[in-house]
Amino acid sequence: MNVMNERQRFLATMHYLPRDRSPICDFGFWSETIDEWHNQGLPQRVIYKNYDGTSANEFFGMDEYSGGPGFNVGLCPGFEYKVIEDRGDHEVVQQGDGVRVLRKKHMSSIPMHEGHLLVDRQSWKEHYQWRLDPDDPRRYPQDWDQAKRIWRDNGRAKPATLWGGSLFGWLRDWMGMEAISYVVYDDPAWFEEMVTTVADCIVASLTRVLRTGGVFDGCSIWEDMCYNGGPLLSPAHFKQFLVPHYKRITGLLRSHGVDIIWVDCDGKIDDLLPLWLDAGVNCMFPIEIGTWGADPVKFRKQYGKQLLMMGGFDKHIMARSKEAIRAEVLRLAPLVEEGGFIGFADHRVPPDVPLENYMYYLHCVREVWGHGVNLKPIGQICPPQCAGHAVQR
Amino acid sequence: MAELQELTQVIIKGNRAEAKRLTQAAIDAQVPARQVLDALVAGMDEVGRRFQRNEVFVPEMLIASRAMKEAMALLEPMLVKAGIKPEYIAVIGAVQGDLHDIGKNLVAMMWRGANFQVVDLGTNVPAEKFIAAVKEHRAQVVGLSSLLTTTMPAMQATVKAIKDAGLGSLKVVVGGAPITQDFAKEIGADGFSPDAAGAVDLVRKLLAA
Repeated sequence: MNVMNERQRFLATMHYLPRDRSPICDFGFWSETIDEWHNQGLPQRVIYKNYDGTSANEFFGMDEYSGGPGFNVGLCPGFEYKVIEDRGDHEVVQQGDGVRVLRKKHMSSIPMHEGHLLVDRQSWKEHYQWRLDPDDPRRYPQDWDQAKRIWRDNGRAKPATLWGGSLFGWLRDWMGMEAISYVVYDDPAWFEEMVTTVADCIVASLTRVLRTGGVFDGCSIWEDMCYNGGPLLSPAHFKQFLVPHYKRITGLLRSHGVDIIWVDCDGKIDDLLPLWLDAGVNCMFPIEIGTWGADPVKFRKQYGKQLLMMGGFDKHIMARSKEAIRAEVLRLAPLVEEGGFIGFADHRVPPDVPLENYMYYLHCVREVWGHGVNLKPIGQICPPQCAGHAVQR
Repeated sequence: MAELQELTQVIIKGNRAEAKRLTQAAIDAQVPARQVLDALVAGMDEVGRRFQRNEVFVPEMLIASRAMKEAMALLEPMLVKAGIKPEYIAVIGAVQGDLHDIGKNLVAMMWRGANFQVVDLGTNVPAEKFIAAVKEHRAQVVGLSSLLTTTMPAMQATVKAIKDAGLGSLKVVVGGAPITQDFAKEIGADGFSPDAAGAVDLVRKLLAA
């Protein structure tokens, strides 16, 4: 097998075709994890949010499964980001989506919503609806010609993917969980209007990008609309309000040859998964294992090859023992070999995972899933206990 | 009474307008407050059971709780007059470092729906605040919530601090997305519920024992 580039490897994996090896990727890391690892031998120059050219993903020799010139299918312009109140080690900020949140300073944990601008039909019109105009030129790359060149380049080495936005997750964030739940029952026409407006913007924005003649390798959609017991919206309402718009989006994508469409949804996805598949989505991310015991092997048995998956490696195992890590890598190996599955942590790697364990995890996946071939180099870790797994760059 | 059965049904459906109308009608007809309360609680109990069977979801639980709350506002003076007190007094909060409140709010709603008095301390609650609230309100149960794995150590420390405070027969129950029965046992909690509906039965069992 010839050496494949990252794009060829990603596409071959997701189409169940022969490949030199499986992609070696990860979901990402909490900033607290990187901070911890700096104390355990990770060079200080390695940061998660990469502004200086050295990212954690690069350091750990990861392949890419998404990328390319970005564009905005959501609120445009976004709200001004501003700190509203300083509360010592916490602060209240207005986010780009207009939501006022309380968050810990210098940490990447999920913040708490403290206030929402979107409370009724009037505020929808005043603050949100006009920001969903697909014709706003600020949505699209400033260097449109350069973006088109990258999108059209069928020989590029890395995947170029599309961003398909969110049909429920955004609205849930903009209003808050309780308020949006009440709207579904108290004013379903308005809920439908909001979902339709968001979907219209996504479809029109995607259409403009797809009409460039670009060759796109996949599309990601974000929802995070499940918790540890099931969905935050009933399957009946999902089917009634969201599926028709999902079909608009997935139909558009497929008509332009985009046949890898994933939804990013944490939590227990079991009740919604058949509906997503029916709606034209064919890949789930990150297959969070959680306390509910999800399992990509089980999902493959249940749904067959129509369901592509990314993630599915229980991040908590990484904190346990090397034996447990290796056992899980081996357990998932047949699924990796079969294809249609790119294994990595089922959410950001948490700070209780020792760097030594993470390096061992990488050592295992590179050996077992990656067959040790055509791997990208890993940076040098300082402590001696990690030296056996690090490859000098 | 057919009207009370209907009241139970409208609570299950989360029909707030009908819940208020039927509650007011029962009050006007001088139906004993206890019977009206039992009808409302029966509705929330059924919502809890359906939630656990995945027949209803978070929005349905929320609208049922809202209907219950609005009906209870009408019934409250009658309950006071009849000397009917909440079944139990509970303190609840998300442990220190945890800013997430959806799960905790759902448990509080279900507890209120079961006629518990709930003192909600909010999020990011230090152990000493839980202890002070338990003492102040003479609570019989305290519920600790944690959404993130990163705040599970704070849950463990809070349970220990509450236990060390020697608060008599107080029960400490825990829950949250990353929490398991094993973890609850490991940190010395008296009980664990995987979901909000189960938290009602859990407290009833613990405090009836």
